[in-house]
Amino acid sequence: MIKIIEKIEGEAKLNFNFKENKIDFVDVEFMSTRNIENILKGKRAFDALVINPRVCGICGHAHLMATVQALESCYDNLILSDKAKIIRELTLNFELIQNHFKWFYLTLYPLFGKKQQILKATYPSQLMSKAIAVIGGQYPHTSYAIVGGVACEITEIDLIKVQHYIAQTLKFVEQNLLKVESEVFLKTEDANSLYDGDLTEILDEIKNSELLGYGKSYDRFISFGENSFFKKGKSVKTKVTHNISLVDVKESQITSSFAKNVSFKDKYYEVGPLSRAMINKTPLIIDVHKKYGDSIFSRILARIYEISQLLEHSRGLIKKIDLSQPSYIEPSIDISKLSGSGYSAVEAARGTLIHRVELESGIIKNYEIITPTQWNLSGGTRENHGVSQRAMVGLSDVKIAELVFKSFDVCSVCTTH
Amino acid sequence: MENSSLFDKLSSRLDELSNLPKLDDEVSISKLIEEKGFSRREFMTWAGAMTSMLMLPASFTPLVAQAAEIADRLPLVWLHMAECTGCSESLLRSATPSIDSLIFDYISLEYHETIMAAAGWQAEQNLHNAMQKYKGRYILMVEGGIPHAESDYFLTIGAHGKTGQESAQEACADAAAIFAIGSCSSFGGVQAAYPNPTNATALSNITNKTVINVPGCPPSESNIVGTLLHFILYGTLPALDVYNRPKWAYGLRIHDACERRGRFDAGEFVEQFGDEGAKNGYCLYKVGCKGPYTFNNCSKQKFNQGTSWPVQAGHGCMGCSEPDFWDKMGIVHEPLGDRLYHTVFGGLGADATADKIGVGILTVTAIGIAAHAAISLVKKPKE
Ligand code: SF4
Ligand code: SF4
Repeated sequence: MIKIIEKIEGEAKLNFNFKENKIDFVDVEFMSTRNIENILKGKRAFDALVINPRVCGICGHAHLMATVQALESCYDNLILSDKAKIIRELTLNFELIQNHFKWFYLTLYPLFGKKQQILKATYPSQLMSKAIAVIGGQYPHTSYAIVGGVACEITEIDLIKVQHYIAQTLKFVEQNLLKVESEVFLKTEDANSLYDGDLTEILDEIKNSELLGYGKSYDRFISFGENSFFKKGKSVKTKVTHNISLVDVKESQITSSFAKNVSFKDKYYEVGPLSRAMINKTPLIIDVHKKYGDSIFSRILARIYEISQLLEHSRGLIKKIDLSQPSYIEPSIDISKLSGSGYSAVEAARGTLIHRVELESGIIKNYEIITPTQWNLSGGTRENHGVSQRAMVGLSDVKIAELVFKSFDVCSVCTTH
Repeated sequence: MENSSLFDKLSSRLDELSNLPKLDDEVSISKLIEEKGFSRREFMTWAGAMTSMLMLPASFTPLVAQAAEIADRLPLVWLHMAECTGCSESLLRSATPSIDSLIFDYISLEYHETIMAAAGWQAEQNLHNAMQKYKGRYILMVEGGIPHAESDYFLTIGAHGKTGQESAQEACADAAAIFAIGSCSSFGGVQAAYPNPTNATALSNITNKTVINVPGCPPSESNIVGTLLHFILYGTLPALDVYNRPKWAYGLRIHDACERRGRFDAGEFVEQFGDEGAKNGYCLYKVGCKGPYTFNNCSKQKFNQGTSWPVQAGHGCMGCSEPDFWDKMGIVHEPLGDRLYHTVFGGLGADATADKIGVGILTVTAIGIAAHAAISLVKKPKE
């Protein structure tokens, strides 16, 4: 049975194979591609700053950050000011947050037979987009992050505006999602003692419809993006190690889909908010994982919890900005004279995003993009399922399988780059 | 006089539309706006802003308000082709707490993959039904470039595995008006950048019907909503430039209404990101601003409900509403100067025909001289 899945920011085709009324295998197929990597070849290094955010309008900012960092890593001795680093981190946080809201209210709600909450999705995401715009000029598709720093010269007034947007978003979270103060929520360590906001409504729905524990996969998590909040590492059945290398990440072509598979040391890993929380050892998420494993319940809670965490963390980051520092420090060599290779990994809303670049006299020889959805949706074989495939096998209801699939917050736009 | 006859014309068009049945009896845009906590006054302020954007006199504000209120009489179909969904994102982020998006959410958005309720087979059925039921009446908005010719395969859509081109052609056939939303749909977009591996092309290249281009990457939410309001008001095509862009939005260059224009005229330029000039808001021409060659209203409308725009954030305009800007707007952080790129007009530069005052004039204009001629002198030579 073939099912077309929309509302995942694009389209994917799931081909369900049944055996004795249970899903036995699922083919995940993406039916389009834009070939951006080929377009990048032969272009000037800085062109990537313009082209790559257009890989995805939903997490374009993450692509901008990944591009600028990949190019910067081609230099031996490039210096960034702390101010520039913090500013970049803030805008990336805001992008993650606004994504989570839209996923929850636009994608998840209808899966539980509820009406899509368009305004609840757009209101807080607009606030976060405005916060990005204050710094980056517009959202989506900014270009303010440049090799050597940021183009913006923000002022005290801009910071006040951004703080205001954060405060408004927090208020929305407290009044709608949580029905409790964010600080209290952040201190919660027991997944069964949540309050009664929209989040709890959905989580209760999962409990009531006996979906608890559905959507389990390998219980293997990975995350490569590092900053002042996220840690790099992997977690296998709660054992966390931080010593991992991008060298072991492999992309491979498959025949049934335009999207390529991604593995780490030849194994499939889950990426995204649940992975990040497992690697960061976030108490509430560790608790929910202990109780319900790597299930849809845990995935949803982890994603929403990250909203509160990132809002709080961003507030702290703003206090650390020293406006007197330079926004931009000129690199020692002009990029047109630069040869070498570089890579970057950033955490996008849906998980680890990796860019690799090779330059020859400032011209792009090769560019490789690995998106979060590729990790989660790798189309494995019957013997070796991908993460989402494994989570769907054994279910008997296609509707539930769709819910499981979407709990990974799939983005086909990115994937079909 | 001229205005009053236009006023009468638009008002009788709106009256006619008001008599059409609503697509959904249970919602009314005006009631909804009220329910969401907007006072009449706030709504009228919004309508006033839209009126001026559409280059109509302020006295037309009540008409624009009426047009917004009866938007639910016109069915709208929104198709996704090869794109990044940035345009939908721009739209979903329109004015907080969002009169624009309220209108878009509650007019019959008969088919929009990201926000519609139905999915899969059901969605395709809905699309088909909408196109049948509202044959000749629906407004078609297409986001994304169309992969075409041998590479049809680069985009197949829906349960029946149609190619993007087939779906788009089918939808164009019976549409009352066709809008290409964003630079992808208007000109092919990022996927059409050299060497264009998927053979992506503009919507206008696959249909014989007139396509109105609303480029930008992404276009601002106000240009998208304004396009809809304009159609409701006039029922006819707006005045267009050579690239089929509505003149009300794309009639002026970024440079014409730029907040840094005074600096340009005074010869005050940012020489390098992060320098004193950057801190003081000098003109960004020398660090690559393509505002003088780009037709759009960003400097006036801004983005994210008027919060900001690229030049305000210290990065120049990249020319995203011009055809093939990826390949033709040159080096991103350096001025285009008098370099002439190979445009469809044989290398004259986009603005040579879109507006007679263009590259050539800028080159000889005394005020701009330092801008491009002296780049190599003022930029610190690097190793
Ligand atoms: S060159 Fe750019 S920054 Fe300078 S005045 Fe023109 S549009 Fe504004
Ligand atoms: S300022 Fe230029 S690059 Fe930026 S959105 Fe407007 S037209 Fe596009």
